[in-house]
Amino acid sequence: MASGWVEKVSAFCRSPSRFLFGTSSEVFLAELLRELRDDRANYTVKVLLLSPLCEYPALLCPSDSVGEETALELMSIFTQSPPKFVQFRSQLLVALTCVLTCSSDVSGRLRAFPDFLDLLLQLAQDTSDLHGDAAPRSLRATACDCLREMEALYPGLLSQRLELLGGHRHQETSRLHQAYAGLQALVLRNAVYQLTQEKEAGAAHLRALLGGNESVECEADQNAGPASGKDSAPLSSVIFGPMGTVPTLHTGPDCKELRSALSSLLEESYLFTPLSQAALLYRLTEVVAMVPAIPPTIFRAQLLRLLGTSEVTLLHTTLLMKSAFTDSLFSSEDEAFLFKRLVVLSQHPLLSTPEKLFYMDCILHFPENRPISCGDSDEALPVLLTPRLASALLPVVFNDSATLLSRFNLLSLVYLEAGEEEDGRGLEYLYEHLTSLLRIVESGGKRENVVTFFRAAFLFLFHFHHVERYCDNLSQQLCQLYLQHTRFAPHLINLADRTQEKLPDSSWALGLLKALQRVISETPVSQTTLRDLRWHLKVLTRAAEEGEISQHGTLRFLSGIIPPSSSSLSSSGDWRLGNGILGVCRRLLVHPSLESMFIPLADILQHVAGHYGDTDIRDHARLYYTLLTTLSREKLATVLAHHAEGGQQVKKRTLSCLMTEGEGLTSILTIHETEVAIIRLIEADCEQLEAEDLVQDEAERGEPVLETYRAQFGSAAFASQVTLKFLLTHTETRDARFDQLFSIRLHFSLTDDHYSELQDLSVPCLFRERPPPVVTLTLKPREPYPSSLHVSAIFTTQDGLTWHTTLPDIRVCFQQIFLPLPAPPSWGRAGRQAVFAGLWEEMSSETGECASSLFCCQLEEKALSALVEKHFLPFLVSDPSHKDEFRALLFLPPQSHVLLKISSEEDAVHFCIATDNWELLPHINDYLLKITAS
Amino acid sequence: MSLRALWIISHEKGEHASIRFSRRFATVELRAKRLSGSSYVAVPEDDCFLQLLLTELGLSGSKQAFVAQRDDCLYRPRSPALELHITAPGKGTLWPVLAISQAHLTLACLPLVDASPGQRPPLSSLLSESQGLSFLAGLQTFLLAPGSKQDGEGLVSRLALLPSVLLQVCPLGTPLELPLTGTLAMPSPLTSAGIQKQPAWRTGLYRGRAVVNVSVVETVRSMQYGNRSRQDLWDVYGTVACKCEVEGVLPNVTVTLSLPPNGSPLQDILVHPCVTSLDSSVLTASSVEHWDGSAFSGPYKFPFSPPLEPFILCSYTSQVPVPPILGSYQLKEEESQLHVSVVLKLHESVKNSFEYCEAHLPFYNRDQMGVVEVKVSSGQLDVSKEKNLLVWALGQKFPKTREVTMEGKILFSGPEPGPSEPLCTGLTAYIKLYFKVPDTTLSGCSVDQHSVQVYSSAKPRIVTSRELHSKDYWIWNSTAFHSLL
Repeated sequence: MASGWVEKVSAFCRSPSRFLFGTSSEVFLAELLRELRDDRANYTVKVLLLSPLCEYPALLCPSDSVGEETALELMSIFTQSPPKFVQFRSQLLVALTCVLTCSSDVSGRLRAFPDFLDLLLQLAQDTSDLHGDAAPRSLRATACDCLREMEALYPGLLSQRLELLGGHRHQETSRLHQAYAGLQALVLRNAVYQLTQEKEAGAAHLRALLGGNESVECEADQNAGPASGKDSAPLSSVIFGPMGTVPTLHTGPDCKELRSALSSLLEESYLFTPLSQAALLYRLTEVVAMVPAIPPTIFRAQLLRLLGTSEVTLLHTTLLMKSAFTDSLFSSEDEAFLFKRLVVLSQHPLLSTPEKLFYMDCILHFPENRPISCGDSDEALPVLLTPRLASALLPVVFNDSATLLSRFNLLSLVYLEAGEEEDGRGLEYLYEHLTSLLRIVESGGKRENVVTFFRAAFLFLFHFHHVERYCDNLSQQLCQLYLQHTRFAPHLINLADRTQEKLPDSSWALGLLKALQRVISETPVSQTTLRDLRWHLKVLTRAAEEGEISQHGTLRFLSGIIPPSSSSLSSSGDWRLGNGILGVCRRLLVHPSLESMFIPLADILQHVAGHYGDTDIRDHARLYYTLLTTLSREKLATVLAHHAEGGQQVKKRTLSCLMTEGEGLTSILTIHETEVAIIRLIEADCEQLEAEDLVQDEAERGEPVLETYRAQFGSAAFASQVTLKFLLTHTETRDARFDQLFSIRLHFSLTDDHYSELQDLSVPCLFRERPPPVVTLTLKPREPYPSSLHVSAIFTTQDGLTWHTTLPDIRVCFQQIFLPLPAPPSWGRAGRQAVFAGLWEEMSSETGECASSLFCCQLEEKALSALVEKHFLPFLVSDPSHKDEFRALLFLPPQSHVLLKISSEEDAVHFCIATDNWELLPHINDYLLKITAS
Repeated sequence: MSLRALWIISHEKGEHASIRFSRRFATVELRAKRLSGSSYVAVPEDDCFLQLLLTELGLSGSKQAFVAQRDDCLYRPRSPALELHITAPGKGTLWPVLAISQAHLTLACLPLVDASPGQRPPLSSLLSESQGLSFLAGLQTFLLAPGSKQDGEGLVSRLALLPSVLLQVCPLGTPLELPLTGTLAMPSPLTSAGIQKQPAWRTGLYRGRAVVNVSVVETVRSMQYGNRSRQDLWDVYGTVACKCEVEGVLPNVTVTLSLPPNGSPLQDILVHPCVTSLDSSVLTASSVEHWDGSAFSGPYKFPFSPPLEPFILCSYTSQVPVPPILGSYQLKEEESQLHVSVVLKLHESVKNSFEYCEAHLPFYNRDQMGVVEVKVSSGQLDVSKEKNLLVWALGQKFPKTREVTMEGKILFSGPEPGPSEPLCTGLTAYIKLYFKVPDTTLSGCSVDQHSVQVYSSAKPRIVTSRELHSKDYWIWNSTAFHSLL
């Protein structure tokens, strides 16, 4: 039992969407709550059961009402749970906090909210746990954490309790004082923030909040009230407010109370764990930043301790103080010291790599007392970072990639700033370093080395693209590298793409591509392997995109590789290689200097069209050849235009584009997921099954009817299917993209095993403005019970994208499975009546699965006839001789029957029921209740 | 200051990756939603997150040479905060995802960005960033703490403890403290300790005789090229580890580090947060500045109130004038053989009494070693099982001359090729030294037993120790062209 829950909960948390596909959130929530209430259940398991509520409260309680009910339920579980299960009770408080805050709409707070708040406040004040033989983590601490989280979500919620919280913190001597302090600091910060937002607020209000003056309190209470939570401003840090403005509260010099509250918190800050201490200092920094009357020097006493710390988060707080107060707390010597400290820390042998990287980032965003730039760009070099200081951060090949790149970037910025373009030693060092990386790549570096080298190369180019001697040399080195390792082609192409994109004024990428084209075309074909050739073609394709690069070398190279005499490469008929060749040709077709290449290109295409070993390639070559020789330049360009803006048409792509260059194909080949259901199936108003016109003049039958009837069951095709009709329509969600859908393939999946697997169905198209298509679903029951089906669909939209969507489930109702008696067509009424009589007799014996029952209800004569007419007409096998009795025979595939004798007795209408499948009784009962009620 | 979600992932070099634990903090997520408004990007489900993270860390699809998403040369200054690009459903960029890895365990979290939506704030302006880093590092220590085999049952049992640990250290997404690593047990019950407040990081009260244990461990690193054009490098850093068993709620202990006369000052001092106060002169010396000779050189006083568990009181770096062992390594290719010549000199200032001292000479990008005709003047030489490494065990002492040599020829005629290493092509090769010297430090830094002050009624027992060991101590072949390094 317990292990079942462990798996269930972990399956839910791993993927709630997949989990809820098999059940629904209400069902799961109900199960969880039932198990939580169960006294026999193990409390360790119960703790686990709370985790779905803590992690996904909004999913399990999607509405206020569900949230409300769940919260009340959890609160009652809390009151009933024995106090010794502290962990469970603590987790329960956490779960309650999550449910109460996350399930409610932001605007309307749940009614259980104040009760829970009272409970938390009461728990937070309950010091009785101290004297007992005490659990490890007291409920009190958790209550404080929950309160803090609520205050964080609804800033100002507890501002009237500030004095109380301060008092608790003051009296507490166990480790718990940290929890109170964290709470108090946040409440204080939010309260001060709230006052800054009020026009008339001043020293008196502040004093009132801190518990000095009761009379003003009420007034403030009325106006302020906790923030609704709609506004995000109180949640965000005030130190980095928009445009660097800090909301301020003008109090005049008189704010002794606040000052003493701050000092007392600061004095004790040393007693807190580094994480809590940093958070506390940060909150207090915010408070002091908002109240100009408090001098930032209040932090002075803590500063030295913080500057020497080995804790990343404490030093970070110091930096944030620096950023908030600049020279009102840090003199220029302090600033220089702090900065040096950062440089030390960013290469300290005892710190972890992520910490060092973080400090490096801090260097680039150092809050200077007197910044020179106004910080438009993301990264600005602080004046304090001299090349000499920065030399501590020179990259070396032993660095890990992230450190290396980060240092490379930093040093590049430093040397750029120092104007080292010409003969600076620093720049030389960087270039040498880049060369070292290149050597490593050359001598078989791992993938990571390769990527790091190309990133470093990009950084170098990005900063020093104007220093020609290095950049030209780099191009040469890259060409040599390429000749040795052609597999770096995608990296080189990527480097060319990025430099071109980021440095539109630089012609470096063009130079590189030109050089690559040259070295490729100069390579003797005989020395080229098939793999090299593929990469060469990739590079040449890229080079052919540049109008400024003359393509004669490329043409020479292509003519070199195609004659079968010179190599076995192209005669091999490799499809991918052929695509590579055609890819280059295709780019050449739209190259501006096409005129001058007309004849050699035509020759190449003609040759490929005639001699290539692969039919598909020959066909495409022929198409290109025809296009080249028959179309004008403009038309050619239009036909072959690629990378068209936005809604590219698929038709164009399939006409002229081949596999190898279809980067855009990815989105075509990917199946996209719709965010909401956009189509659905609704039940079609199916035409009533008519009562069959029966052959009247039929002779009495000698043979036993039942046996003849049953003999049909042997045949596999016998009446085993139920056909349902649905209309496929759009849902209310309007999205123009989905107005016209094509090739819709509907997939049905079963939720139980009452039916055989269903075939997918195809619908050619669905247009919003046209009548909805009818979808016929053929169900083959194994057991004739109601069920529901999951439906999903894959379809194509007009822009050629393929989508997957989930449709709302469809229900298979009980009455939809009813079929009239599947008697042989030659039978008349008498035969059917005989079957009815025979079956009735058998079933009344109540042997095996057979059962009979009676359903009564009040109905007038007329209403009864109407009801029978409406619901049972196709199934009637009434004997005309019994005028006051209707007989209906419902056949439920594959082999079940429900027989009804309906008659009006003096007090009520009696539905006598007989069936050969007793499990159908509840369903028939429900059904009868439903139809007789309406 | 809060985290939206937390993940613990195990993998073997990117293969068989699985999420071993994950936790989403719903209330923080709600704050994230309100803070970022329309630009809100929800945390994806575990499977999706795992794929994105592995790609971003370059751990997925290791067989493919170039994956645009992973290998783009465009430098994004991302580390330590990663960016994950979520495709449908719920498109957007998840930032800043912090991830730290050790061995095959990767820990990741998503800190809350408490800034107004729109422009992305710099990483350094988010306190949640450093909090996340600290918290992840603390969790990592907890999960991989000694006594637990990394993938064995230790990790499994610690992962099983995680839900209750999180309830204690981070119940609602705001990390409050780091999990205790010393014992698997929970902290001791709350105690009221009279008028003095108990520090939140002191998890209980010690009763018994006061014992203070202080050990100074120095590590020396070196990179010796034996080449005029390239300066040899070495550096020394030290840590002072303490274990204090002292009675009292907030006991006072002072440890003083002292240097010999003319010793170069301790630099880059970092102290544990339990140090109560610091003299500003202690922090002045820094390795990134040139020392003008006038800097403060001790004694360094550290008054503190110790936590119960062992901790690093402080760390420092030091500039010593010479490396403890100076080496020279020369290789010459002679036809099919490699002529090897090594000289190692122990500096006279270093105590000649090792716990161990070994020189490793690996050979890469060659066949396995066939014939090894190498003589050593002292110690013992072994060829590794894989036939690509010479291990020279120098024992506990250098000879009186403080100099040892190795001379000889190696024929690489083994049947199989040895390992490859892109750094060591041609004659580029190195010796790596592993040594440990007890009861000494290079900087001369020491803690005198009598300088440790404990303010308590009973006389405390005080134990101090020192040791020096090597790490990344490389001696490169001086005959190779070192453009690589």
